[in-house]
Amino acid sequence: MEKRKNIADKIWIVVLAIAALAYVYPIVMILMNSLKEETSISTGTAFKLPTADTFAGLANYVDAITSKGFLQSLGFSLFITITSVAAILLCCSMCAWYITRVQTVFTKGLYFMFVLSQVVPFQTVMFTLSQTADSLNLNTPWNIWVVYLGFGSGLAVFMFTGFMKSVPLEIEEAAMIDGCNPLQTYFKVVLPILKPTMVSVGILEAMWVWNDYLLPTLVLDIKKYKTIPMLIQYFRGSYGKVEMGPMMASIMLTVIPIIIVYLAGQKHIIKGVAAGAVKG
Amino acid sequence: MKNAKRWLALGLATVMTASMLAGCGSKESGSDEGDKGGDGKGSVYYLNFKPEQDEQWQDLAKTYTEETGVDVTVVTAASGEYETTLMSEMGKSSAPTLFQVNGPVGLANWKDYCYDLADSDVYGELTSDSYALEEDGTVYGIGYVIESYGIIVNKTLLEKAGYTVEDIQSFDDLKKVAEDITSRSSELGFAAFTSAGMDGSSDWRYKTHLANLPIYFEYEDEGIASTDAIKGTYLDNYRAMWDLYINNSTCEPSELAAKTGDDSRNEFLAGEAVFFQNGSWEYANLTGDGQFTDDDLAMIPIYFGAGDEANQGLCTGTENYWCVNSQASKDDIQATLDFMNWCVTSETGTKCMAEDMGFVIPFKSAAESQNLFVKEDAEMTEAGKTPVSWNFTTMPSEEWKNGVGQALTAYAADETDANWDAVVSAFVDGWATEYELANQ
Amino acid sequence: MEKALKRYSPIFVLPTFAAFIIGFIIPFIEGLYLSFCQFTTVSNFKWIGISNYINALKDTSFTDSFKFTVAFAIVSILSINVLGFGLALLLTKGLKGTNIFRTVFFMPNLIGGIVLGYIWQILINCVLSIVGQPLLALNTKAGYWGLIILMCWQQIGYMMIIYIAGLQNVSEDLIEAAKIDGATLKQILWKIKIPMVMPSITICVFLTLTNSFKLFDQNLALTGGDPNHTTEMFALNIYQTFYARAGMQWKGLGQAKAVIFCILVVVISMIQLRATRSKEVQQ
Repeated sequence: MEKRKNIADKIWIVVLAIAALAYVYPIVMILMNSLKEETSISTGTAFKLPTADTFAGLANYVDAITSKGFLQSLGFSLFITITSVAAILLCCSMCAWYITRVQTVFTKGLYFMFVLSQVVPFQTVMFTLSQTADSLNLNTPWNIWVVYLGFGSGLAVFMFTGFMKSVPLEIEEAAMIDGCNPLQTYFKVVLPILKPTMVSVGILEAMWVWNDYLLPTLVLDIKKYKTIPMLIQYFRGSYGKVEMGPMMASIMLTVIPIIIVYLAGQKHIIKGVAAGAVKG
Repeated sequence: MKNAKRWLALGLATVMTASMLAGCGSKESGSDEGDKGGDGKGSVYYLNFKPEQDEQWQDLAKTYTEETGVDVTVVTAASGEYETTLMSEMGKSSAPTLFQVNGPVGLANWKDYCYDLADSDVYGELTSDSYALEEDGTVYGIGYVIESYGIIVNKTLLEKAGYTVEDIQSFDDLKKVAEDITSRSSELGFAAFTSAGMDGSSDWRYKTHLANLPIYFEYEDEGIASTDAIKGTYLDNYRAMWDLYINNSTCEPSELAAKTGDDSRNEFLAGEAVFFQNGSWEYANLTGDGQFTDDDLAMIPIYFGAGDEANQGLCTGTENYWCVNSQASKDDIQATLDFMNWCVTSETGTKCMAEDMGFVIPFKSAAESQNLFVKEDAEMTEAGKTPVSWNFTTMPSEEWKNGVGQALTAYAADETDANWDAVVSAFVDGWATEYELANQ
Repeated sequence: MEKALKRYSPIFVLPTFAAFIIGFIIPFIEGLYLSFCQFTTVSNFKWIGISNYINALKDTSFTDSFKFTVAFAIVSILSINVLGFGLALLLTKGLKGTNIFRTVFFMPNLIGGIVLGYIWQILINCVLSIVGQPLLALNTKAGYWGLIILMCWQQIGYMMIIYIAGLQNVSEDLIEAAKIDGATLKQILWKIKIPMVMPSITICVFLTLTNSFKLFDQNLALTGGDPNHTTEMFALNIYQTFYARAGMQWKGLGQAKAVIFCILVVVISMIQLRATRSKEVQQ
């Protein structure tokens, strides 16, 4: 009995290992080809490893970084993600606390709108949102977080209120009686309790903002700013010539930091996602 | 309830303050830009269509700003995204002042935004009025780059097969040579034509550029320049040409759909095929990195078995017209006109456009191009040959082209009459439907 | 406490509320209104009633994209959830290397849709080219399955994590008791595990459903709707109507499509939530 189980387990491990390899393969393939010379990348030879003839070293990477302003875009993407997520975490958790603790027609209505905004597809508001943002000059990386806070608040408020409902009132009341004003209570009592949810929300929102393509394309002033997902589009020419080498290199440059961050903080990320999803 | 009202009021107040602040902000930034460019100088925002020339445009803009102090911003749309980018940029408060349309069909959408260029200096610089986009006395756009396409020939390989470029003077000659090469291809080690590449990366070579020929000859017969219903008189020639391409290429016709434009180019570069239908814009790709020299290459007309083949030239024209945004401020319009004029008259501008970008520009003070294919076009015209004009700018829509491309691919996979009928239907019926849709 | 909190409302609610007005409420209401108008910019519009909606429903590219989206959603929801749940079962058995597997399977989730789309476009085109089939841009079938494979690759890991969390909440005692009572593994799975993780199933189905309906980036980057709009999903169809077609009539049409899309997504989400919630075990 025990032995049979062992064998079954081993078979499963092998199956999982094969699946895992297949999972990683697409990225490995891009990595492989990004090291080849431009003319050696074609649909027929993409599965071959680079050989001495076709090996181009890091030339494609140098090209990707220098020719299209990759580093600048990386900076914009980073800045936008950090400011937006920070704003969402702080503002939405405060708002969520207020909504759960103060029950009025207004807060109920607002909560309903937040929930609704979560489901509404971006295409419904894409045109009007880009025009509103344009007329308010919210079209730079420095202030686009306002747009993200507005459009992304639904999910965050929803998750925070979901968690907050299960937190007993007593601790907060005790703090208030001790003479804390609401702001102090929030920072000293509520915020620490919220930490795990903060991590989940932060991860989800960061993934969204970092990878978002359509919103920045429509809202940002494209004369001056491009984010990473926007930049990737620029490796195709008007007569159909795709700069495969640099394109693959820039894909790798986009993917590698994500993988590093993920491997470094995977415990938190996986836990956060699980907690967030179950709560939501 | 009371609370709700108070909140609403507060909310509205916030929004109003915010928008007021923003209003001030935009005014400030507006005057800011004006200051940078000196008083009343305006600024230029060019939405460029060709990603290949992005860097050169950026450099040229910088030079112009250094010389004159006028701000020029160049933005290049990602490939295939020009219309969408233009559409979303035009809705913004700082819209492009200089943009492009691809001909009469593209113009129809943007007419309201096109400034009349009839009195502009740059219009006067044009070598021929036929390069202007004119309707009812209003000049909406100016073609700024002239391109030619035809069949690019690898002369070295052709000689190996026992022919010279001079041997090909008509469709029948071309057919004879191509079929002879195919019959000996295993012995020669190369094929006649490169594979077609029917995905988005190069299907325009057939659904647009090759499809121009039946349209051109029909227009010639009828003496018209555009139509709401094409008859398809020369579609049999189109079929003969397409058959020739796909039956004498590097791969089986049914495999064409699995090839990309890059594959096609790489085949030509690797010496796997003699003929490659493409245009003057390919010159840099073919001669870069010392792959081919001018002695290896030639471009011959696409002989179609129609019209006066002895006097047929390359297909020469433009689908890149500059338009100036009429909704822009007066200063910006003037600045844009000055910039255009500078590009096509100054030494720096013309030199940059000819040498760095590889363009042939139809303006009086244009610098001579180093592009072999362009030179060949000029020689042919001088020898009295008539260039085939670009009539695909009158194709009713992108949808129409896609329909034809689709049908061509299906036909290549299975060369039956029924499948060719589908091409004819996409060509003729599709034209009428799409024309009606586009001109509602 | 409520009173004290209310006095601080400008600090607590106002920032989010103001941004929410800018980022959602104004655009949303304006969008609803403009769907009844012909317009080119928000300041330049003309009321034309419901004709945009009529034209939207008459537009075959729109109804086709709806069918394609539904066909895509059904298969992708099933495959993502079944595979995700299966992986979760395997990875809660205490096998060796569980952590590594979990890490690997979750990873694609962090990569953005555009980048994912390009990675798979290259890969799938190479495979198609080698087996001599038409490339993605000419091949509706490959486009459809390509999108499904891509979405599985991206989302299975995410759903797996949620299912693992759900499965870990199923008490060992309950399973032990069932085993003593002579329940088979199959019975344990169907009678205990699945009912107990019903909340996770609700969430996962809900997430995959809305994700598939709202899919845009991956669709744009992988197939771009080619060939001839046959792999165009809802969101992309709206985007194309809006920005790729120039002219007055298209914008209103696109906006009307977007509102229909919005109503549809809201209704589906509500029905779906209710349906799965009613099957949940009262805990």
